[in-house]
Amino acid sequence: MTNAIEIANLSYSKNLKKILENVNLTIQQGKIVGLLGANGAGKTTLMRLIAGVAKGSKGKITVDNQQKITAKKSRVSFSEQLNGFNPNIKIEKIISFYQDVYPDFSTDKYNEMAGFLQIDEGLKLSALSKGMREKLIIGLTLSRETQVYLLDEPFGGIDSMTRKKIIDSIIKWKSDDAVILVSDHYVSEIASILDEIVIIKDKTVYAQKSTEEIREKYREGIEEYYENAYREE
Amino acid sequence: MQYDDKIPIYYQIKNFIYREIIVGNLKLGEQLPAVRQLAVDLTVNVNTIQRALSELIAEKVIESKRGKGNFVTEDETKIDDLRRRLIDEYLSDAYNNLHQLNVSDQEIIEYLNQYIEDRRKKKS
Repeated sequence: MTNAIEIANLSYSKNLKKILENVNLTIQQGKIVGLLGANGAGKTTLMRLIAGVAKGSKGKITVDNQQKITAKKSRVSFSEQLNGFNPNIKIEKIISFYQDVYPDFSTDKYNEMAGFLQIDEGLKLSALSKGMREKLIIGLTLSRETQVYLLDEPFGGIDSMTRKKIIDSIIKWKSDDAVILVSDHYVSEIASILDEIVIIKDKTVYAQKSTEEIREKYREGIEEYYENAYREE
Repeated sequence: MQYDDKIPIYYQIKNFIYREIIVGNLKLGEQLPAVRQLAVDLTVNVNTIQRALSELIAEKVIESKRGKGNFVTEDETKIDDLRRRLIDEYLSDAYNNLHQLNVSDQEIIEYLNQYIEDRRKKKS
């Protein structure tokens, strides 16, 4: 199998503070991977580095065999939090922005997903509830036809119905070869859709394991395995 | 579907499909939903469904027809065997647990009869 993401000896500091140190990570094509870690462990930073949004790291990040930042940007769809938009902007304007900026944005795919997630494009960004906003972010992120999708904590503070819808749309619209990396600090609700988990602890990759292997070999639940990883010192 | 997070999901899906076939929700020769649809219905990864299906195909409980999809076997003896296998599995769990409590074989039969009677009374 081909690797979608390869990270070698990656280190990153911000304001003289080490955030990530000597990260090595390989993710194969087609996987759904849970990126787990406490708040502040560096999950978002790692995603931003893979997406090519954060710069100034040491080491090597290869996405779909590409190392140049521009090439990486075009191959990674990162769940932007939409904070750069004016709160009064209408959703339909955000969609046309995406169509303009990303050549791989599929309007057909978006429309299908928006119907499923019941997104109302006539609303203003500021009128969206937390769950609605998260559904829009997922819809926009997954509508790009690309190889790697990074979903940064899409389940924070939303109700279980919305969560179910988001999980269903991940299963429904993920193409067979695409990789989805989804971060969370709580894993139970998404454990059933994950192929692997990657635990970030002490500024680096503490463990990378197949979820079925955790269940089969250790007879442990994924949440339990993750909690134990954080407990061991 | 609710999963036990300590048991491999592909294994739980196999058991789910066995049950659907044995109780007749999936009929002999019936076509299974597409892999992705099964994944959505059961809220799991497509890879997990594929693993479960490939084992069911190896066991000849499911037959894969090229270009057409996956079908429940048309061989009735397969289903009878399957039913028998699952019954033995459940009985063996109960038997082992009771033996660990030093319940004798004769007592197991008596307790089981008593239990069935109690359940029947509760129902009526």
